[in-house]
Amino acid sequence: MEPMDIVGKSKEDASLPKATMTKIIKEMLPPDVRVARDAQDLLIECCVEFINLVSSESNDVCSREEKRTIAPEHVLKALEVLGFGEYIEDVYAAYEQHKLETMDSLKGGKWSNGAEMTEEEALAEQQRMFAEARARMNGGVAPPKQPDPDQTIES
Amino acid sequence: MRQAGIYSGVVSGGRSGPHLLPLARIKKIMKKSGDDVKMVSGEAPIVFSKACELFIEELTQRSWTVAMQRKKKTLHKEDVASAVLATDILDFLVNLVSDSNNPLDLAPVERETLVS
Repeated sequence: MEPMDIVGKSKEDASLPKATMTKIIKEMLPPDVRVARDAQDLLIECCVEFINLVSSESNDVCSREEKRTIAPEHVLKALEVLGFGEYIEDVYAAYEQHKLETMDSLKGGKWSNGAEMTEEEALAEQQRMFAEARARMNGGVAPPKQPDPDQTIES
Repeated sequence: MRQAGIYSGVVSGGRSGPHLLPLARIKKIMKKSGDDVKMVSGEAPIVFSKACELFIEELTQRSWTVAMQRKKKTLHKEDVASAVLATDILDFLVNLVSDSNNPLDLAPVERETLVS
């Protein structure tokens, strides 16, 4: 049996770290619920397949825009096209947060872009970028019907 | 404080903090997802990391709903498979979950009850 926890030795073996995945899974569940090992493994495989799916679509989006490098906005567009549009806002927020944190450490702890932004300004900036991203994404494609709170899962 | 099913966002630190999946690993998977994959920007795997987290959360939640309907306290492979079969956007996983499962063995799940 192939040890899935070892970093992929060949191209075929790239998978996601079990420990991190297990943590994410367990946090979604009540504390007294257990997860069978085969269920854990299957969830991880599904996630890898998800990456494959979204990567392919991102690649297509990238080609259609005649770019040579897959950028975050291609991935966001792919998510929307594939029906995972609900993720976009959280994903974008995480991305922006990560950028802020990275810049912070690069500048030795002080986040400065000429003038320091207050939290409100940073939030406003974030909202502005959201709107821009949405406008870009909705540019050539009609936005999918927005789900309402008690949507059915049939598309 | 942990509340099952509620995601409080990575911006505020979430449950026990953001879980960043390893970017190099994600990039590797991306590159082998097709024969003609373009170059991947350094930032794309970051976006994926978050998307994967949300995806796993959703799939886990749906699977758990199935398990509860079957009055079980342990999440099993069949629960994950049922959740996949009952969700349109998870169609791409149908082959993956039925490779090791005989679909006929799965108890039918009402689609309406999986509405979140």
